[in-house]
Amino acid sequence: MSILKAVITAGAPKQKSLPLQNLVDQQGIAKTALQLIADEAVNAGVEEICIVICPGEQKNYEKAAGEHASRLTFVEQSNPRGYGDALYRARDFVGSDNFLHLVSDHVYISPADVGYAQQLVNVANRESCAVSSVQSTRENMLPFFGAIGAKRVANRRDLYEVKSVLEKPTPTQAEQELIVAGLRASHYLCLSGVHVLTPTVMELLGEEIENTPSTASIQLSPALETLGRRERYLASEIVGTRYNIGVKYGLLLSQMALALSGKDRDEILTDLLSLVSQSTQSNGQPMLAGVDR
Amino acid sequence: MDVKATSDNSIDSESGCDNRLVQIIESEDDSIRNQSLDLVCADADFDRLIADTVALDKFWRGTENLYHRVRALFFLSSIHRFHLPRHFDRRAVGNIPFSSYQHLLGRRFVESIDSLLEAQSESGASDALSSALSQAYHELAFQTLADQVRRSVRTVRGNQWMFRTGHPTDHPIRFRRELIERPEESVAFPILKETTAVRMDFTHSGWSDIFFLGMDYPSGARVINASVNLGVMDRDASPDPPIECYLRVIDRPVLKLVSIDLKTHAEITTIAEVFDFARDYLGLLKAAVIAAGIVPPGMEGCGQDIETLLERMIGPGLGLEIVSKVNDIPKGSRLAVSTNLLGSLISLCMRATGQVSSLEGALEEADRRIIAARAILGEWIGGSGGGWQDSGGVWPGIKLIQGAAASEGDPEYGISRGRLLPKHSVFSKEEISSETRQKLQDSLVLVHGGMAQNVGPILEMVTEKYLLRSPEEWEARQDAISILDEITDALNKGDIKAVGAATHRNFFGPLQKIIPWCTNLFTNSLVEQCQQKYGDKFWGFWMLGGMAGGGMGFIFDPEIKPEAQKWLQSAMSATKKRLETRLPFAMEPVVYNFEINDNGTWGEILDADDARMPNEYYALMIPGWLKLPPRELSALYRTEMELLGSEYRNEGHSQAFQQLVEGILPGRKSTREKTETLNELLRRIGFDRDQHEQVRSDLKSGRYGLAQNRLPVTTSITDVEAEDVIESRDGVDEKHRSVGEQAIRDGKVAVVTLSAGVGSRWTEGAGVVKGLHPFSQFDGKHRSFIEVHLAKSRRVGKKFDRPFPHIITTGYMTHQAIEDHLSDVKNYDYPGEVLLSRGRYIGLRTVPMVRDLQFQWEEMPQQMLDEQQQRMRESLRTALIGWARQAGEGSDYRDNMPMQCLHPVGHWFEVPNMLRNGVLSGLLQRQPELKYLMLHNVDTLGASVDPGLLGLHISSQKCLSFEVISRRLEDRGGGLARVNGSPRLLEGLSMPREEDEFKLSFYNSMTTWIDIDQLLSVFGLDRESLNDLEKVDKAIRVLSQRMPTYITIKDVKKRWGHGQEDVFPVSQFEKLWSDMSGLPEVSCNFFVVPLQRGQQLKQQAQLDSWLRDGTASFVDSLCEWGER
Repeated sequence: MSILKAVITAGAPKQKSLPLQNLVDQQGIAKTALQLIADEAVNAGVEEICIVICPGEQKNYEKAAGEHASRLTFVEQSNPRGYGDALYRARDFVGSDNFLHLVSDHVYISPADVGYAQQLVNVANRESCAVSSVQSTRENMLPFFGAIGAKRVANRRDLYEVKSVLEKPTPTQAEQELIVAGLRASHYLCLSGVHVLTPTVMELLGEEIENTPSTASIQLSPALETLGRRERYLASEIVGTRYNIGVKYGLLLSQMALALSGKDRDEILTDLLSLVSQSTQSNGQPMLAGVDR
Repeated sequence: MDVKATSDNSIDSESGCDNRLVQIIESEDDSIRNQSLDLVCADADFDRLIADTVALDKFWRGTENLYHRVRALFFLSSIHRFHLPRHFDRRAVGNIPFSSYQHLLGRRFVESIDSLLEAQSESGASDALSSALSQAYHELAFQTLADQVRRSVRTVRGNQWMFRTGHPTDHPIRFRRELIERPEESVAFPILKETTAVRMDFTHSGWSDIFFLGMDYPSGARVINASVNLGVMDRDASPDPPIECYLRVIDRPVLKLVSIDLKTHAEITTIAEVFDFARDYLGLLKAAVIAAGIVPPGMEGCGQDIETLLERMIGPGLGLEIVSKVNDIPKGSRLAVSTNLLGSLISLCMRATGQVSSLEGALEEADRRIIAARAILGEWIGGSGGGWQDSGGVWPGIKLIQGAAASEGDPEYGISRGRLLPKHSVFSKEEISSETRQKLQDSLVLVHGGMAQNVGPILEMVTEKYLLRSPEEWEARQDAISILDEITDALNKGDIKAVGAATHRNFFGPLQKIIPWCTNLFTNSLVEQCQQKYGDKFWGFWMLGGMAGGGMGFIFDPEIKPEAQKWLQSAMSATKKRLETRLPFAMEPVVYNFEINDNGTWGEILDADDARMPNEYYALMIPGWLKLPPRELSALYRTEMELLGSEYRNEGHSQAFQQLVEGILPGRKSTREKTETLNELLRRIGFDRDQHEQVRSDLKSGRYGLAQNRLPVTTSITDVEAEDVIESRDGVDEKHRSVGEQAIRDGKVAVVTLSAGVGSRWTEGAGVVKGLHPFSQFDGKHRSFIEVHLAKSRRVGKKFDRPFPHIITTGYMTHQAIEDHLSDVKNYDYPGEVLLSRGRYIGLRTVPMVRDLQFQWEEMPQQMLDEQQQRMRESLRTALIGWARQAGEGSDYRDNMPMQCLHPVGHWFEVPNMLRNGVLSGLLQRQPELKYLMLHNVDTLGASVDPGLLGLHISSQKCLSFEVISRRLEDRGGGLARVNGSPRLLEGLSMPREEDEFKLSFYNSMTTWIDIDQLLSVFGLDRESLNDLEKVDKAIRVLSQRMPTYITIKDVKKRWGHGQEDVFPVSQFEKLWSDMSGLPEVSCNFFVVPLQRGQQLKQQAQLDSWLRDGTASFVDSLCEWGER
């Protein structure tokens, strides 16, 4: 199974500036979030990248993509109808090929030598089927992610057969439908925004769009759930962590995670401690009262 | 455990699994498992029974299985209560260790049992210890059941997360965008509205919807119920879903709860307030907010404010408003209004937070199930309870609800045979046709009879009887189960007459066989009237829910239904009027129009111009908004007021406007009825203001008070010795008996029945005359206490050919009712003279002193409630202490119906009343040979004019002979003691230490034989001077000052709205008759009499065991019933 194409969705109007944000990567080099995501794809062996964007954003994105600009194909999502619709706009780009799909508001850090997306592509190559990366996530984060119900593949600790996929489920639903044996109580397998998909997904999205009233939004989760019934579809717990830059303090936390796992770790740690010691509590007392500063 | 009482070692050493009772419990074979304990134990001797208790006690401690454990506990309770007492030596006395009583109050049942068993092994088994053991095992059994229901509710998938979420920032749910988004120019957010039906049950197969029955006997747990819309006859145009709930986002970061029917609202700013249920009347809304996961139970005690939570769930600066409205269905409707309201609110909140699949319209089956599970959780949180069929209004149409066996994967698997939640199967139109549904509507008259009663004790009795499998009960249960099939069959065929016949047979057959107390005189009288008036065209009676008297159904031939419906309204009102002093009514009876609701609970979004709350909401809220300075009024409220104003200008005088004006301007409709004010009443009764002010000032100064009731701690209190009492349990000497017989023949005796008080413990505070309460059926009819007493006197009088006078003492609350009733029934044709001795003394209740409330709640031993109820109670107590401070400690209590502000001043005054009101002097003039009185409490049903005891009293030549009984656990409130060396009766209120009471072997039954002349001389009077009222008054005042004054706290109900009730603790004082035994110049005897003679019926919950242990038939054997 060779994966040479990637699709990045960035069509949501409220999030169009997220991929353009500046971060400093683990090597201390300033990059945009888009560059970091494209790095993931390229490191995984991808040669062409399609970005689904809001109309009129192409120039900004080309600029933000840096050295990856030449690999990019842009598709504008006019009249956006949700995440599933955004991905479907890349159907011509994908054609009949398998492809890597990443979201544009996440940053991934892998402690291993192999990158986050690369690990997933390796699993897909080995298993010759569609695979989504998942992360065991506490239930308080359910409002932000899609989650899966799954059965562990025999003799594999990190690989699951996907039975159901729900978009941002409530814990009430999750407890009834998404319990995965072997996970800690109150933890669910949430999608972390990186998938290796087969072209069937595009077909399924097409069917969904056709059968849904034009005012309703199109999500990816129902198509993924159907994919699991049509063909082999797995989920893999990848070694690494995803950071959502689209939530409150998400960008800040992503930057800190990058910095703390990179070469400037000590410097950042010192600065952080100094910040903590200088800050005051709500009662006006210094955080580290009694510490000789 | 070593049981001293056991002599047979082979039985003693029997291991648990060899025991026949344990085998019954453990057996998988129905024919063994369903054996009745009563039958198995009927012939067992004492040693056998003791060995059984040893084996069962060992067994319950070792088993993990819920059903095994609970059944063993009920077996133990029953053996100690009903089987062992037969074998105890009648003369034996045994004392209950105070520590085990304290454990019992503190709900430490296992510790209590351990300490009682230890006492049993040290001093041998006894009636007293068995009474306590029975109680402790009984309570532990119910505690075990309640704990299991809770555990199961918590472990239902979909509920577990709520117990883990402990902080607002952790909250995993969000409100749906549709409710948060509003058009830019609009200040109002859309409103989500939920309408829900109530449930009407055709049959519950003998209360099989009790959780435990469903969990233990899933195949026998079956209910048919229908979701119905209601309208009040002649008031509402058409039936509608009676429950409406509304939810919207508001522009203030608070949680606002509004209950339109209770006319109350609150803005909640902290999470702690959400868990404070008794703070206001919004407990049900709060329970719904918690059970729906908006403020999940895990967040209790997190110390955070609501704003943080709402910011995360809805958005910064935004809040939430939830409004509930029940269209005028009062409490006690037996239609599960509160559970369905809870279900409706939970559904509303779960739709709003995306926890169920659809925001609008009907729900999916899976959603309804999770809502039902959450409603159970909510009921637990709110401290109330219901059956598993109760959220039936959430489902559509008519359905069969049945228990489901627990299988692997269910949280109940291995613990109980059935699952907590039942299966619902909605009948299709093919199974029950539209025509049949219409026919049912054309035949059934649905009513609320006006009685609001507590169904809790009935449900406990059902559970216990089910586990003991008494043959009658078990047969009746099987019969009830088969009636469900009959009803289903009749519904399939569209034969409503057969439905009526089946529900009627169900009520008069199996249901009353299982629980005779599910009917009452009111219901029986209505059914009789229906039969008389309509004959064959009355097709049957239909009991709704747990008991009859409130919500009920009457099925008529459709031809006459419209007429019968109107007639029934007037018949119910007339019957209520006739019985209202005898039975607890909370409201006027009502007839409902109804229709079957085929939607189940239903959601809809009201937006743009439709985003309006119901009219009553504005009538409730706008008066408050008008008081706010304009700058504090939110844009939303301003707009809503403008909208209403525009409506008035454009459309004129609408109903909404009318309600609003009524809400703003207080006033009342003129009625011709004039009610007597408290002051008028006090004047009429002859209230002694001087005495009241004296008591009040002593109360305020601290001279009187709960703590001051007690004797000094240095007082020596010991149990009496054998020489202090006269034993009569094995009968009285023939010599004395013949003296007594002769005295009766010579007209020397009369009876005094004390019936001045209403018996507030009996009626739980309702203003009903206990003496007139038709509490039980004897000889096929409901009879009252007074009728029973007259029947006993009739029998004795007839036997000795000399009917004797029967005096009934009355008070300001009971006089009129008793007089009217006795005149209606012509004294039940009693052949002797029946005299009413009207009370002449009265007290005015006062707001309690906070120190007395604290003493009562903190210093005196209290029954701990279970965890959640205890929390409710504590929060309520804080509120009541606030009320006492605000209302003024020690001030007159006037904020209630005038009658509820007065109090009787204790039974000491009953005898002086007879002196003051001329009853005794008149009687002595008419019957100068009269020398003795037998005085007894209205609830001492076994007390009769026994010639033996009368003879004993006469021969002893003492002034007073008090009858005492050996003490059981429930006999609290004093006893016979040696106080500083002299025997006398001591009131519980005056015990310096609680534990002193537990040293006393005998309890005062209050029945007293009086030598009239000796008693008069104690007052300083004689037969002559009785005619000199001034002298009598003075004599009473002098003796009265020598009697102790006790301050007590009583709970008084205040009724308001539609059957709503509040209970307030108030202070009153009393002087008690038994203190006469402490006067040095009064010579006294103490007769020890059999339990059945001296036992008192204080609470209705005692009735069932009173019937089962044979006391009821003992009482019956003493009576001869009149003709009418």
